[in-house]
Amino acid sequence: MGLTLTNVDVVYGGVIQVLRSANIEVPDGKMVVLLGSNGAGKTTTLRAISGLLHADLGEVTAGEIQFNGKNIANGDPIGIFDLGIVQVLEGRKVLEHLTVEQNLRIGAHRRSDLRAVKHDLEKVYNYFPRLPDLLPRTAGYLSGGEMQMLLIGRALMAAPKLLILDEPSMGLAPMLVEQLFEVIGRINREEGMTVLLVEQNARAAIRQCDYGYVMDGGRIVLHGTREQLEQNQDVQEFYLGLSIGEERRNFRDVKHYRRRKRWLG
Amino acid sequence: MIKLLQVLIDGTLVGLVYGLVAISFVVIYRASKIVNLSQGEVLVFGALFLWTFTFGVKALGYDMPLWLGLLVTMVACVGFGLLLERFVFRPLIGQPAFAIFMASIALLVMLRGTAQLVWTAETRPFPAFLPGGALQLGPFMVSTKLLIGALFTIALTAGLHLFFTRSRRGLRLAAVAEDHNTALSLGVSVRGAIAVAWILGTVVATFGAIVFLSGRIVSLEVASIGFKALPVALLGGLESIRGAPLAGILIGVGEAVAMAYLDPVTNGVASNVLPFAVMIGVLLLRPQGLFGWKKIERL
Ligand SMILES: Nc1ncnc2c1ncn2[C@@H]1O[C@H](COP(=O)(O)OP(=O)(O)OP(=O)(O)O)[C@@H](O)[C@H]1O
Ligand SMILES: [Mg+2]
Repeated sequence: MGLTLTNVDVVYGGVIQVLRSANIEVPDGKMVVLLGSNGAGKTTTLRAISGLLHADLGEVTAGEIQFNGKNIANGDPIGIFDLGIVQVLEGRKVLEHLTVEQNLRIGAHRRSDLRAVKHDLEKVYNYFPRLPDLLPRTAGYLSGGEMQMLLIGRALMAAPKLLILDEPSMGLAPMLVEQLFEVIGRINREEGMTVLLVEQNARAAIRQCDYGYVMDGGRIVLHGTREQLEQNQDVQEFYLGLSIGEERRNFRDVKHYRRRKRWLG
Repeated sequence: MIKLLQVLIDGTLVGLVYGLVAISFVVIYRASKIVNLSQGEVLVFGALFLWTFTFGVKALGYDMPLWLGLLVTMVACVGFGLLLERFVFRPLIGQPAFAIFMASIALLVMLRGTAQLVWTAETRPFPAFLPGGALQLGPFMVSTKLLIGALFTIALTAGLHLFFTRSRRGLRLAAVAEDHNTALSLGVSVRGAIAVAWILGTVVATFGAIVFLSGRIVSLEVASIGFKALPVALLGGLESIRGAPLAGILIGVGEAVAMAYLDPVTNGVASNVLPFAVMIGVLLLRPQGLFGWKKIERL
């Protein structure tokens, strides 16, 4: 059980192949990290899982994505959401003009077990004790760290079975990154929640994970347990030694702007 | 002095009718990011549906109670809104703004043509839903119909505001208004939200027709109220429900003042031009309007 990607290919716009026979396994209750440099195909992998590829003119053209025994490749994103797969998008996508409270309530909008929703809200406050004070604030004006807490809190309000996080540490100060990953690790262990985490901040991410994959050019080039990754020479060189500079972040912004999108109407 | 106050009262009441129609622009824009230029024609369709299910059926010898006629009209509006969304605007989503702009102009012409074809160009009486006449308040005269319409607009604004900020369904629509991709990642059906927005927009436009036309004459000319409401929607902010009635009052009062004091010396031009002068001013100085969303830039 859990999530399994078997030989998955993803093609954008019918011609640009990005994922090439990717194999990833995220067992129930585990925390798995997916590493890779810019443009490696990490976000594409996540979109393929959560069904959000379609909006970007992308498609899974080969392979299978199984979640708890169901093939969800090219599935309807809302159906996949209802199966319990909740993705926190990269780039701190809070609903900016809504309040923190409204953002949290939207997380639970498809649930009818109101008592459990209330309980989950307490849990979220327990993991992020700063959130209760921020409830009436407009989400767009929160600090980066606060936004990230809100985003993870909002996803938890959906009571996910598999929580997918796309570069939650992006643009945060190193201190905050450390704290954030600790909380994510706690959520994984205390709730038994399965977590798939995409990161560039490899050192802190690896420390919390059970297993990790390294992606390059749309292929998985390396994978192993936490200990194996921590000892691996390549990982050491390419990821742990690398600092995230301004330059790289700017490049990312440009790249996102350039991509063609299909609207979701 | 009394004249000025009377002008302000009239302007406020008429402005709130513009505000009501502007709300129909706003609900559609929020979800779909489309400004439907043919919203005035949509309003006329609403009015013609209502005529059909009141005087129209009566002429055919059936007697339908007014409430039933209203109900059937609303059902027709829902269908009409869905039709526009599904067959005109959904295929255009994601196309450049210019393509959508042109399509809504084409739709405007086509709706006019269809209305003429189905209902002919003759003018028709509109049922008097709201009492006619005027209340005498001290030295002032207040149109009963417009007063009720104004109160309705304010109540509707408050209701929609609560809906969008408190209810689940409304929050979903608010999420879609913010960002389609994010909404979808939260399990919100973007397509469903846009359909609901078109239904709401059509129904609200028909409310506008009821207030504006009660006891008057329906003709295709009435569609021009759509062009009055567009500057109001822009001034209030295309995302802001509460901005619409406020901007409506501003423009309504401005128009009434211009009509009373400037029109006599400008051959009646001033009051007609004013809303559009305001519109250009808004576009140049504050494109997001008074209460619309400016992209929050922060990192
Ligand atoms: N909608 C799209 N259309 C065409 N190509 C795309 C699209 N989205 C992504 N790509 C391309 O696919 C490749 C992988 O992109 P992806 O966003 O998955 O990378 P990533 O590993 O998440 O990178 P980053 O660390 O910068 O977020 C890139 O070369 C990118 O240009
Ligand atoms: Mg990415």
